[in-house]
Order: sequence, then C-alpha cells, then structure tokens
Amino acid sequence: MEIVVCVKPVPDAETRLRAASDGRTLDSEGVKFVLAGYDESAVEQALLLKEAVPGSKVHVVAYGPAPRTEEVLRSAIALGADLATWVDAGAERWADPIRAARALAAAIATVPHDLVLCGKHSGDDEAGLVAAALGELLSVPDFSCAVDLRWDAAQGHFQFRRPVERGTETWTAPLPCVVGLQQAWNDPRTAKLPAILKSRKATIARTAASSPAPSPSVTPERFELPPPRTGAKLIEYRTPEEAAQKLVHLLREEAKVFP
Amino acid sequence: MPDFSLTAEQESLRDLARRFARTEMAPHAAECDRTGRFPEEIYRKAFGLGLMNLNVPTEYGGSGLGVVDQCLIVEELAHACGGMTTSVIANCLALEPILLGGTAEQKHRLLTPFCAEYHLASFCLTEPSGGSDAGGLTTRARRDGDHYVLDGEKCFITNAPHASLYTVFATVDPGARHRGITAFVVPRSAEGVVPGKDEEKMGHRASSTSTVRFEGVRVPATDRLGADGEGFPLAMRTLDQTRTPIGALATGIAQAALDHAAAYALKRVTFGKPIAEHQAIQIKLANMAQAVRAARLLTWHAAWSIDHGAKGTLESSIAKCFASDAALRVADEAIQTFGGYGYMKEYPVEKLLRDAKLTQIYEGANEIQRTVIARELLQLYA
Repeated sequence: MEIVVCVKPVPDAETRLRAASDGRTLDSEGVKFVLAGYDESAVEQALLLKEAVPGSKVHVVAYGPAPRTEEVLRSAIALGADLATWVDAGAERWADPIRAARALAAAIATVPHDLVLCGKHSGDDEAGLVAAALGELLSVPDFSCAVDLRWDAAQGHFQFRRPVERGTETWTAPLPCVVGLQQAWNDPRTAKLPAILKSRKATIARTAASSPAPSPSVTPERFELPPPRTGAKLIEYRTPEEAAQKLVHLLREEAKVFP
Repeated sequence: MPDFSLTAEQESLRDLARRFARTEMAPHAAECDRTGRFPEEIYRKAFGLGLMNLNVPTEYGGSGLGVVDQCLIVEELAHACGGMTTSVIANCLALEPILLGGTAEQKHRLLTPFCAEYHLASFCLTEPSGGSDAGGLTTRARRDGDHYVLDGEKCFITNAPHASLYTVFATVDPGARHRGITAFVVPRSAEGVVPGKDEEKMGHRASSTSTVRFEGVRVPATDRLGADGEGFPLAMRTLDQTRTPIGALATGIAQAALDHAAAYALKRVTFGKPIAEHQAIQIKLANMAQAVRAARLLTWHAAWSIDHGAKGTLESSIAKCFASDAALRVADEAIQTFGGYGYMKEYPVEKLLRDAKLTQIYEGANEIQRTVIARELLQLYA
C-alpha cells in the first residue's frame, strides 16, 4: 500500500512567539520548528498500517520554506518513513490553507497514493482545511477526526473510528481517500538515535511549488500575542489546611466569588 | 574564529536526549532519589533508543558518537537526573578499555553480542584500599596455563549488581606497581564473581553501586586486553576519553539548578516584589549563569579537542574539575535562592547539591585532576 502523509513544520510548543516586523505573521527568527502533535499521530498511523500491510511504503510530503520543512521531513524519516518530498515554498512566509493544499495535491498527484493521511489540523494555525481541500483537489473522498485506521483486506476498504460526543462512530472508506487524524490516540513512537543519524543522510526529493497560486484566498491582517496575564497570586503554605484557608480567604475577600 | 553552533544532526541528537530526559527520566527522579530504586525500565528504554552505548562504533552495535555528541546527550540527561545518567553512561566507561585495548577479534566477540541487547557493564578499577592510588591496586591475576586466576575486591563500582560484564584491572606483579597492572574482561557468569550489596549513597541514588569480589575467577587469556602490564596506561587512556562527559553531566546538574533558581526567583515575592528584582539574588543568578556557561564551554572544548585527535588529558581534566566544582557551587546557590524551601526535600534543588557532590569525586577525584592539570601544565613550561 502506498501511504502518503502530509506534515507541516510548526513552532515548538516551548518557543517564545513574537510578531514579525510586518505585524501580520509570526517572526520565525530563532523559532524551533518541529513535527508536532497531529502530524506525529498521522505518521504513527501510517507506520502502523505499513507494519500491518506487508509491502507498504510511507511517503511524507511537506510544503514550506527551508530549512524547517526539510527538518520535519527528516524527523518523519527518522520515525520510519521511506520517502520524502519537500514542496519548496520559496520565500513565502505564510501560506493560506488552500494554497498549501494545492501545492501538496500537485505533488501527491505525481506519486502513487492509495491513502493520504494528515493531521486533522495543524498544530499552529488549526485551520483544519487541508484534508478536505486535498480530497477535492485529488477527487477522492475525505474524512476527518479519525482514529485507529485499519485496512480490511477481505472487504477491500479502510475502517476507522471517530470519537464523538458520548460515543464512537465506525466508518469505512474506499481506496484511495484522504483522512485527517486526531492527535495523541496512538502514542507516537520516538525516533531512535541510529535512525536519526541515518535520516540526516536520506535523500529528500525537492520540487518547487507549481505555478504561483492565484491571489491568496485569505490574508492574515494582524498577529498579536495575548496580553500578559496579571493578578496571579502564589499561595505559600505549609499544610494543605493552611493552603485551603488562604485560598478561601482570597476567594471571599478579594475575588468576592463567595458572599 | 571558533564556531559554537551545533549542526542540525547534533540538534536532533540533543532533542532526542531532552525529550527522553523530560518524559521518561524527570517524572521518576524524585521517587528514585527518595527510595534508592534502580529504575531498570528507564535504562532499558534508554538502550532501546540508542542512548546507552554512545561511544561504541556502529559496526559493533553502538551509537558511534564522538565526544562532543556524547556531551550534548549527557548534559540533557543529567538535567533530569544525575544518578540515572551515571547508570546510563556507565557502559561507555566500562567498554572503552575494550575499544582502546582490544583486538579486532575481541571487539567483535565481546562487544557485538553485548550491544545487541540491553546489558550493563562495569568498570572495575577502584579498590577499598584506595581509589586515587590506582597504581597500588592489589587484585591479583595469576597465570595458570592458558588462563588467569583473579582474586581481590573492587569497590564503588557503578551498576555492579546489575552488570553482566566487568572490565577488571588486576596486577600480575604487585611489586611492579602500575607496571604490573593488566586488564581483563570478565563475564558476571564466571564462577567466583560476587557483586556486593547496593550501597546507600548521599546522591545519585537512582544509580547502583557496590563492591565486586573476584574469588579465584578463571579468565581465559584470550579475554586479557593488551599484554601483561599494559593495564595502567589503558585505564588512564580510558579515563582521558570518558572524563569529559562527566563535565557534561555536571553541567547538566548546574543548568538544572540555575533553571530552578531563576524560575523560583521570578515567582517568589518578598518586600513587595519578586526576589529576582532584588540585587542580592540577581548577583547570585549572574554568577550561576557564568559558572554554567564556563563549565559547558570548557567541556565542549575538551570534547572537540579529543574529537580532533588530541590526547585530551589536560583539557578533559580542566573540564571535569571545573564543571564539577561549578555544579556544586551553583546547586548550593540554588538552595540559597530558595531559602528554607531549598532545604526541604519537597523541592528539587537539594537533590542537585547531593548529586553534584559525586561529580567532584568519581572518575578521578578533583584533587587528582588538579595534580594532572599541574603536571601537564608544567610540562608546557619546562
């Protein structure tokens, strides 16, 4: 089975974020970009399928600028992906989701793909549009918020679940299709040191994003950080009883949430 | 100009170690410190990720890293727990004599099966009668046909109760002092190998330390490293290679102490403002930051020198000695920054002081490091 996984470099959760001088985008200077969250779960899903279906290949594809995009592709290779394609976004600092999906779809269309996986949304912008747009652009069915995708060889279709309020839906999907995955349901593996070293030497196919996309469908207007939080109070205590007494006192006298 | 930036490969190794340290080691550090439990499950995971036999070439199943790369990993691990890090890197010390003194046949025979699975090895040099005076060791090795028979006792041996392999330094001629010392590789399964009980230690309590007695242990001559009498220089060359990562281990402890102190200083309020705004605390933090950076840079320099072919005796002794002294000082100042809370076991900084203390003692006490530094230094002026 030919499994394509779309991944996106996103700022590490511990990064201190700043607005760029244009005031509209993230200042990427000094920001560490990682393969994170939903995409890790998508890669893990692909690797689980590869292990379950002999002869499968996992091909990671990412759209974005250097060097961060190449780095997250190497992270995916270290985890076990077989092939990687970097769709070079050139100097573009921010791509709207549809533009990113077009670039990814153009690359995916040229390679074998029985299944296209991605995080249900990215770890930074959380637009959640790429999976659906890929389905449209590749003219295949698309699903989102999936977990636990399996290949049913006897029936010739995929089966997956969707956690919903107070229950779980079970779905089947034909081949090929696009599936957006939930985060952290499959305990993504950690790349091993030898695989990390090997991934540094792996070949990453690079393609330029095909013809400049039509004018962006959306543009960011402003990038602002939330105002710093104030008013937090650290309660110091020696016993839990003392902590509770002080907390109740503050809630009653200062926050006035109790009469 | 020197270039202090890390390669993308080094960054990814450091990320791996940092992630492992934070997710697997740190959550258990306080518990293992309190109980003295040897968290073998963590060490097995470290092995599984390739974080254990860092210095062993890949052709024998190790990770094949240079000393700079080892230091990057060791510092990250030690940030989470110095004791666990000691146990994780003990194989590097124990296997280094085989790497330096073993024949190609011995390396293949001894290292390949060892590194293929989770195994621990211990470096057995120190004896109850003296650690720093390694030339005066008394464990005997008597030749008997195509075997040697080992008799004696080693002490303060890291991982000894759990190890399956020991590199042992014994003398074939006590009268010859260091010229009689010979190195052997001894499996735990050999008859007469008796590890002692786990010692109760001040720090590094997640690590395991005990004596090992050798009671008439028969070792095939094929498991001798080098020739009779070549053991002492082999031990010294081994320590030249492994001393620098101890500088990194100390740096990791020091960085953790600074991180805790700075975070606490920003939160803790006295006289109406965070203590980080009091000059007395700022001076502490500034001094701690200097010590941490100097320790790291000396460690990187020693590691870089060795990776570029230097013997590294002077550089690694300076790095280990400075970084371990710095770790103790920084941990001490971290406790002072926390005040009374710093003295409480509920807070993480008093453990750092206890863990830092050992780095001044093991892999060559700092008094010996200073002797070595002076000797090497004076040669430059003689």
